Order: sequence, then C-alpha cells, then structure tokens
Amino acid sequence: MPEIKQKKMEQIAQLWNARGKGLITHMALQIEEVSTEGVRVRMPFNPDFCVDRDQTLLHGGILTALLDSVFGLANFVAIEGVSTMATLDLRVDYLRPAHSRADVIVRAHCYRQTRHIAFDAGSICFDGHDDAEIARGTATFALTRGDTSLFEAMTQGKPS
Amino acid sequence: MNLQDVNANVSRVPFFRFLDFEVQSLDDLHAEAEMTFDSRHIGNPVMEYYHGGIIASFMEATAAIAVHPGFGEVPAKPINLTVDYLRPAVKGPLYARANVTRKGRRIASVSVIAWQTAREKPVAEGLYHFLLV
Repeated sequence: MPEIKQKKMEQIAQLWNARGKGLITHMALQIEEVSTEGVRVRMPFNPDFCVDRDQTLLHGGILTALLDSVFGLANFVAIEGVSTMATLDLRVDYLRPAHSRADVIVRAHCYRQTRHIAFDAGSICFDGHDDAEIARGTATFALTRGDTSLFEAMTQGKPS
Repeated sequence: MNLQDVNANVSRVPFFRFLDFEVQSLDDLHAEAEMTFDSRHIGNPVMEYYHGGIIASFMEATAAIAVHPGFGEVPAKPINLTVDYLRPAVKGPLYARANVTRKGRRIASVSVIAWQTAREKPVAEGLYHFLLV
C-alpha cells in the first residue's frame, strides 16, 4: 500500500471531523483504510435509512449517497493540489436488495485523473459478505486546482 | 390514487421521512414532490449545498412514486440510475418531477428533473429503471 504522508492523513481526519453537520456526520462514516490506491469506509447500520417497517432493507438512495461521499474522499487522497471538486455525474447499479442490519462497507478509488476531471469507481457490500456485492457505481468529478485547498476553505469557514 | 393516501404511504417509509418531502401532484405518468431543506441534507457545510446523494435519493423516491404510487410495504424496486449534476442545490426547498417514459410489464424507465428557482434551471437530471415484478 503506497504510503500517505502524515500531514495528509492529519488533514483528512480534520476535514472529516470539520463536517460537524450534514449527511456525512449523520451517516457516521468511519474511515478504515486510506491510500492513493483507494479507500475503505464503514457505515454503521442506521434504521433511518431503511424503506420497510421492520427496518432491515436499506433504500438505494443512501447507497448512492455513500458512493458519492466516499468518491470525494478517494479523490482528496489521490489528487494533489485539488481545491474544489463537484460531482458531474453518477451511475449506480443496485445488484441485490440491501437486506441486512450489518454495517455497510464501501471501497472506492480514483482510477484516472486529468487536470480538470477525476474518474472514480466503487463497490458496496455488507460487512462479512464481500462475495455478495449490493451496489456498484462510477462517477466523474470536475476539479479545480489552486492554492486554497478544500481543506483550508472548510477549516477557515469560507468558500474557496 | 389521491394525494393524501400517497403522502400517508410516504410517511410510513423511514428513509422518506429522513428526506422529508411531500408529493404535490400525481397522475398515471408523472409525480411531483417538494423536499424541505434540513441540515442533515448538507453535503458541503461551508456553502450549505445539498449532498449530491440526497438529491439523487429524492429523485429516486419521486420516480418510485410515479411508477407505483400505491405501493404496499416498500416502494418500487430500483435497478439502476444515472444522474447529471448541473448546478449546486442551495439551502431551501428542492422540487422534483418524475416522468414515466415507458412502463412495460416488467421494467419501467423514468426520467426525473430536480430544480429550485425555476424548472428551466434544473440542478440535476436523472434516468432511473425499476423492476415491476
């Protein structure tokens, strides 16, 4: 696994902690593995994200949201000097009903970056069931590069 | 199916309550809904933009209702989706309109737009497939 600079790791932790409000906080995401080759993130089960009365079936939308979020992290890790990123488009296939109360594991990586665009792919399964993918997605992101990093903009509390 | 019954259905789905939206119009081929902004919908906390995944979720929910407004236990089964993000969605209400392009015996194709200030300025556009069996 290619090593990530200590400084970058600290920035990543700070960046996520800085998101004191919003969906990412609500999803209670835990970063499990981070490298320029990709990231692995865990989302604990949350009954709010279910569609059924028994609360055992996750809505597809939350899986889409999860992919979008984790792609953002993968980009942040893989791309040097990125100032902002905006999701351009997103495609998700729901491969199986997301029927479980297990934690959700997302793996994502940025498989190609150019000056303006990042291309990402990712996969979702339930914890302990790597052989039964529940969703797979790809996305592209429009990047802006510059001195003011997304991290700086967020910690300073003003837009870049 | 009348709007009151549809919205009663919507309020039974935990994730639909999380999204917090109301169906505003409905017929055989379309559904329109309005979502109320909440801090839990934020993707970019600095700018207070909606999270892209929340926009896609709201569009998927509206599409599922257009396909099967009288769903029983769970909404229509989604197969896949493609979303184009056209503009940032800012703090405030978000609207979605789903049009069922084709409803066959097994598969439905639905196109959805989401907007805030004007329909002519969509924040996102999406295509969704549902399995009807």
